[in-house]
Amino acid sequence: MFRHNTLRYAVLIFLAGAALFQALTAGYFGLEILTEILVLAILVLALDIVAGFGGMVSLCHGALAGVGAYAYALLSAKAGIAPPVAMAGAVAVTGAAGWIIGAVCSRSHGIYFIMATLAFGQMAYSYVFEAPVFGGDDGLGGIERLDLSLIGLDLNDSRTFALFCLALLGAVYGAAVLILRSGLGRSLSGVMHNEQRMRALGLTVWRVKADVFGLSGMIAGLAGVLAAQHVMFISPGLLGWTVSGEALVVVILGGLGTLVGPLVGAAAFVVLKHELSAVTTYWHLVVGVILIAVVISRANGIFGWVEARWGARIERRVADATRKQQPGEVARDA
Amino acid sequence: MAHDLGFWTLQALNALQLSMLLFLLSIGLTVIFGLMHFVNLAHGSLYALGAYFAASLAAVGGYWTGFFLAPVAVAGVGILLYSGLIKRMRKSGSMAQVLVTFGLIFALLDLTRIFWGDLALAIEVPALLDGRLGFLGVEYPTYRLFIIALGLAIFGALAFVLGRTQIGAMIRAGVDNDAMAACLGINVERLFFIVFCVGCALAGLAGAVAAPLLSVTPDMGLQILIPTLIVIVIGGLGSLKGAIAGSLIYGFVQTFGAVLAPQLASVLIYALLAAVLVIKPVGLFPAKG
Repeated sequence: MFRHNTLRYAVLIFLAGAALFQALTAGYFGLEILTEILVLAILVLALDIVAGFGGMVSLCHGALAGVGAYAYALLSAKAGIAPPVAMAGAVAVTGAAGWIIGAVCSRSHGIYFIMATLAFGQMAYSYVFEAPVFGGDDGLGGIERLDLSLIGLDLNDSRTFALFCLALLGAVYGAAVLILRSGLGRSLSGVMHNEQRMRALGLTVWRVKADVFGLSGMIAGLAGVLAAQHVMFISPGLLGWTVSGEALVVVILGGLGTLVGPLVGAAAFVVLKHELSAVTTYWHLVVGVILIAVVISRANGIFGWVEARWGARIERRVADATRKQQPGEVARDA
Repeated sequence: MAHDLGFWTLQALNALQLSMLLFLLSIGLTVIFGLMHFVNLAHGSLYALGAYFAASLAAVGGYWTGFFLAPVAVAGVGILLYSGLIKRMRKSGSMAQVLVTFGLIFALLDLTRIFWGDLALAIEVPALLDGRLGFLGVEYPTYRLFIIALGLAIFGALAFVLGRTQIGAMIRAGVDNDAMAACLGINVERLFFIVFCVGCALAGLAGAVAAPLLSVTPDMGLQILIPTLIVIVIGGLGSLKGAIAGSLIYGFVQTFGAVLAPQLASVLIYALLAAVLVIKPVGLFPAKG
């Protein structure tokens, strides 16, 4: 089951503080990058829930986010539904898509699971690419952002939009922790560690997998909706398998199954991408080499490496510090 | 429908040609997976490298220089990858292998861009195979017939080697149970190495023969990767029968789908893959029962 420790809390507070600082002080370009990080962070949280805590390595989360983005665009721009309802509708559609994919793929394991999710992702990609209603290769434009003028917020301002995304990321993180701590989340980690035993205990394994995949799909859908609102334009490229691959890379670079790690990974990936593409057009080469190095080093990503090295020590320090505040306990130990 | 027999023959030949190209790629990938349990997503990049080597060599010494030397060059790259990276990743899980080879795709993509630039290259079809040939009442480009013949020849050769020779028996034993094969005195590691090199060479060969048909671009490896993976997952990992069956299914569904139901063509093959995975999660003809 997912637990917080001192290091995780510290990194979370640091990340939240840094994002808030950036959101309040940065110029237009900085805010764009921050929003990109926040949207990617929501997507990789969705992926970490299934891959890190359920062993379901999915190569369709980019496509799920794309489905969310297209569903929102169609509902709001084409069908003329009010943005808040369209947003909820898009999240629901993506959740349903995720549930179905999870249910269908629940019997596959390992490389077959990866391939099956890849197939579903590509299926969505080629359908969106071909069907005229989605605008084909040209994509869809004119996507509106949510109207929050009722509570005095103008989301067309990029600073407000970045803060809005940050608030949603916080909510999604909280939801992810709640999901993983619930009965469903505990069943999921049971299934990951020993599916046979969980089945023998009377658990309907495919339901657990499908439910979690559906919830994860909803989060991915939210990321897609925000991405669509951010850029106000969508194209089929959003659903391509390399987007899902990149999301997986971010999760791995950050630290699989830590929830905090993927957030670190998202920030590192986007900043690295922008810094490198300013220097060279061959930034894929650098990212590829870093990815290979991280996987070969056998560390669980950046955050996993830090946690394995210093996590235990920090934990001990904190425990010592709290003990010193209670002298009675020390005396009893001696 | 108002199509005559010649039309169907033409489509069947197109489908067969696509199948054979995919077969050349998928056989290497599937046997590498079956024998080594190694997931090599970078196989498509090796195909792209093959096309680039062929284009460069063809510019120097004509088409046939590229045709014969490109597979050797790609096998050389394969040896480098094997000794530098893949040997080390052998004992890791499939997840780590997927990620390392995904990183390799990124790296190789940009390396080809650095060496050959972003512009598409083209190769001339050799004079010997230029032109058209009358075949079952239709005119068909000789070069495409050559690809079909080449694919069938490679299939025949591999079927013979895997089914009738001692090294084939050793490979089949290794796919079936590598620990037991090692106990019986087979040098499984060396076998892996040979199979990996042959797989890389076949990917390079596929790139070299595909180069005159398609334009040679850095992302051609990415484009072919998904069809290749679909082929081996439908066919079942590790078996020659699976690779040829998967290739034919893919080639025919794709080609005839595009003719009969253009709206659904692109979705059809993925739906088929999903159906196969639901009904037989390990593919149609897996090497292991």
